[in-house]
Amino acid sequence: MKRLVSLAILALALPAAPALAQDSATGTVGIDGRVTPVCILGDPDPALVDLGQISESSGPRTCKIRTISPQVVRLPASFCNFAGSVVRVSTTALTSSDTTAPQPGFSRAVNYTATATNWAAGSSAATSAALRDGTSPTASGLGSTQPLPRIADITVTLTNFTTPGDLILVAGNYSGTVVVTLGPAAVPD
Amino acid sequence: MRKSLIIAALPAVLAASPALAQSATGTVDITGSVAGRCMFTLPNKTISLGEISLASNGKLDVSKVNGRNETLTGWCNNTAASMTVTSTQLTTPTAATTGFDNRVDYTATATANSVSATDTSLTAGAGSGSTVGQFSGDILVTLSAASSPTNGLMVAGSYTGNVQVTLTPST
Repeated sequence: MKRLVSLAILALALPAAPALAQDSATGTVGIDGRVTPVCILGDPDPALVDLGQISESSGPRTCKIRTISPQVVRLPASFCNFAGSVVRVSTTALTSSDTTAPQPGFSRAVNYTATATNWAAGSSAATSAALRDGTSPTASGLGSTQPLPRIADITVTLTNFTTPGDLILVAGNYSGTVVVTLGPAAVPD
Repeated sequence: MRKSLIIAALPAVLAASPALAQSATGTVDITGSVAGRCMFTLPNKTISLGEISLASNGKLDVSKVNGRNETLTGWCNNTAASMTVTSTQLTTPTAATTGFDNRVDYTATATANSVSATDTSLTAGAGSGSTVGQFSGDILVTLSAASSPTNGLMVAGSYTGNVQVTLTPST
């Protein structure tokens, strides 16, 4: 009788045991972070384009704009880490440091075209159209959208140096500026 | 002389009899069991790394990952209990073109009961298990050895990953 009672209790205990025996547990530590959309332009090389003497020194075009070869500036390892970026080029015509209004037949402005390439399909270009007195010196152009994150050497080429009406250039030092902007395509002008 | 001997013997027999005749003992044995078991009492935490790229060059800022930690709590009730860690890399859905990375790998280390288990997200699956034994308390999860596949520029976006710590009562 003693043995029968013991067996009965054991039999009741057995069905409950297997479910507990294999329990394991999992805890989770979620990790999140972010990378902010950013564009960085490489330092321009060269940082300064020195054209030297920009007028002819002799011949029938004396004191008129000389033929200036294309000037190339590299912006190495420029990048945007997001899809949908664009290059904008803004040019400011070369103007004489002498701000006096030029006499008829003279110009104190030199226009040119700046073209940025190697970012998206096509290029971004702007051609300044300053008047001979140096007014309205700026122009800008927007390229096509780069659909992927990209790192590349952007090349800016300066070409087509001209004076309004091919006039005689006023003596002096001339300076202009090219501004390259790399940013999201959604940003308005 | 012969009769008196028989009478003298009878009282001695009677005196020994009552214990055998009036009591009995039965026994009920009782058994039970406690299964090996592990549980998390605090099973979920989040480590928010914030910005993980360097402002100076756009690459992974490992200092934003390495050393970051969170604490889960739980217990196991048997000495054979083991602990494993499975780390899943941080990723963002945007594709990475040449020069960019959209993934951050790391090593996760879980420490409980002065025992550690680790796993790197560089390889799939869980790391080696460690016998954590019977304990109740903190499970400290720490990140280290952060890297991106090419040490490239990090693609913009939100990155997510996780560390799973599994406690198993028996191996």
